[in-house]
Amino acid sequence: MQVIVQKNKLVESVQDVMKAVSSRTTIPILTGIKIVATEEGISLTGSDSDISIESFIPAEENGTIQAEIIEPGSIVLQARFFSDIVRKLPQDKVEMKVENHFLTIIRSGSAEFNLHGLDAEEYPRLPEIEEQNVFKIPSDLLKTLIRQTVFAVSVSETRPILTGVNWRLENGELTCIATDSHRLALRKAKVETNISEAHNVVIPGKSLNELNKILDENDDLVEIVITENQVLFKTKNILFFSRLLDGNYPDTSRLIPMESKTDIVLDAKDFLQAIDRASLLAREGRNNVVKLTTFPNGKVEILSNSPEIGKVVEEIHAKNVQGEDLKISFSAKYMIDALKAVEGSEIRISFTGAMRPFLIRVPEDETVLQLILPVRTY
Amino acid sequence: MHIDMNSFYASVEAAFDPSLKGLPLAIAGNPEERKGIVVTCSYEARAFGVKTTMPVWEAKKLCPNLIVKKPRFDRYRKASKAMFAILCSYTPIVEPVSIDEGYMDVTDVARHPLDLAKEIQQRLLDELELPSSIGIAPNKFLAKTASDMKKPLGITVLRKRDIKEKLWPLDVEEMHGVGAKTAEKLKKIGIRTIGDLARGNDVQLEKIIGINGLRLKEKANGIDHRPVDPSSVYDFKSVGNQMTLPEDETNEEELKNALKSLAKSVSLRLKKKEAVATKVAVMLRYKDRTTVTKSMKLENPTDDERTIFQHALIVFQKLWKNEPVRLLGITGQDVMHKKNAFKQLDLFTFEEEAKNEPLHQAIEKLSEKYGEGIIKKGLSMHKEIDSFGSSFGKDFFFK
Repeated sequence: MQVIVQKNKLVESVQDVMKAVSSRTTIPILTGIKIVATEEGISLTGSDSDISIESFIPAEENGTIQAEIIEPGSIVLQARFFSDIVRKLPQDKVEMKVENHFLTIIRSGSAEFNLHGLDAEEYPRLPEIEEQNVFKIPSDLLKTLIRQTVFAVSVSETRPILTGVNWRLENGELTCIATDSHRLALRKAKVETNISEAHNVVIPGKSLNELNKILDENDDLVEIVITENQVLFKTKNILFFSRLLDGNYPDTSRLIPMESKTDIVLDAKDFLQAIDRASLLAREGRNNVVKLTTFPNGKVEILSNSPEIGKVVEEIHAKNVQGEDLKISFSAKYMIDALKAVEGSEIRISFTGAMRPFLIRVPEDETVLQLILPVRTY
Repeated sequence: MHIDMNSFYASVEAAFDPSLKGLPLAIAGNPEERKGIVVTCSYEARAFGVKTTMPVWEAKKLCPNLIVKKPRFDRYRKASKAMFAILCSYTPIVEPVSIDEGYMDVTDVARHPLDLAKEIQQRLLDELELPSSIGIAPNKFLAKTASDMKKPLGITVLRKRDIKEKLWPLDVEEMHGVGAKTAEKLKKIGIRTIGDLARGNDVQLEKIIGINGLRLKEKANGIDHRPVDPSSVYDFKSVGNQMTLPEDETNEEELKNALKSLAKSVSLRLKKKEAVATKVAVMLRYKDRTTVTKSMKLENPTDDERTIFQHALIVFQKLWKNEPVRLLGITGQDVMHKKNAFKQLDLFTFEEEAKNEPLHQAIEKLSEKYGEGIIKKGLSMHKEIDSFGSSFGKDFFFK
């Protein structure tokens, strides 16, 4: 193999595939990046066997030459060293040449590295996916879907299925749900699809976090293919594979309350800042809990008390308060997470009692829902 | 004797960085964000009118040279520990009230209280560079009131015979234990000064502020029977039991049984203290005397025997290397009083809890009316059965 490639393109690709490379893999060759050069261009692959990412540098794109393929071929190079080397090379162009015994020469300007590589034939193959069940979402919408749900996945392995986000595709609508059993995030979106059958899969939260880092903030369509145990996200130059989680995701629909006893409408930003202030003292205490009390005159009081440190009280004006008076305590962190995720200028919180889950929604918007379970005293 | 540290957080910061001494300094939640609030501030800042809970922008307007710093709780904890250590060097009867104030019962210390107070104040200043105010009085309420009278670096003696003159003319709102809401209620029945309260009508007081009204009246008369109780707040940060096994044990079943009994005694002791633990730690000592410990955080604080056992078992299985065990212990760590603890409800089980909602509401209403602790859920009255195993409740302050 011998190629000359634009350094910035190579750096970008290496950065993308590095998201899948883990130093703690049980398969030694996966600590490397596979590089394959063909007439069409250079592809780089990184994998930790749960996530696999392939990034392609076309030899020519939009009339500019990005890579010159002198001799096609392939090699696996140690990811840690290769990524650092590439980033610090002095010139705009990089030459890579594989010699005998997988010794690879990386040259840029007057710098020359000799790196011992491995046989690319030893590198595990990426899953083969038949592209039948494809649906498409604009990249920026996909990022939003991920951002609004993935934070609510469980970080504990006690119920492994909850470490993923449940994706249900039905009648051209995608519903994403994540819950750690203390709060739940839900987001719906219309998608472009030719699939008639329904899909119900669970994608690991970690995979979606990594995917979100790679995707660009534009409206290019991302193709998504779901198989029995894999999901593939496909952009112009990137293939992102993730394993799916085994098992049935619990049915949460019956747990989301339909009616409410107390409804308050608030300015989202003011409320977020008030909760943030209230949690200043609580954050240090072991219980990051704030207490919310509604009054008939439309006032809402937020209180937090950390016996060792002190307490804070703040009164905010709701735009609207309806229903029964209420006193409820909840985790400030969960509230802050939820408020950051809903992204509306106004929010409606619907309570059904001090010991029951409550909902945070944007008025007139059916696509976003955040649910939080309160805390109770002993 | 009541010891109250003066603008504690700000003083600790100044002790760490002497260049801050004498400058207006505020500790605020988020100094960069103008909307952060002032948690505490130095006396130099107070001179400009800067107050606790004021937003940073407002404070800066009053005092443009104000230095704003983020709270560093690790520092404050350390300083607090050192401060209580000094207090404890005089008597073991020290009751911490919060991170920066506490009571001492010096009745049995063979020194004149005023000399003692001077020495303590000087030591806090010399050894820790922290200023304090001390109140000397025959009971807790008066001592607390006294320490408030002269700040910073004051020593005030308040005798019972002084109260008519020093206490009664004060606004009732200035009395320790009377908040804005209570003061408002009192004003409605014509009680404006502490003296008015001292002469208040029992029936009327009980009607408008409940049982607490009568206690406040007593205090206004300089009566307060509460003892200085070292165990009242922080005396337990952990509750643990350990046992030496009859022989060096390698049988897993036997070790499990031992863990079960230990979990039971830890649970009983927690319940007796009306406390819950947020972490469970297991300690193992092998035949060769090497000792290993490991802990695990619980999802919700607990006093439940089964929960403690289950988690202790998980920790034990991670810890044990199949070698003969001589000594075994379980400790509930980060222990707190039940009334300060919360249970995070679970989406898949909340309906069970919600069934008890009317009960919780009823308890809350009764407590509001008659004072905390008037009614409790059906906890059995535990007798002192520390079945076996000795206590090794380590203490946050007296380590």
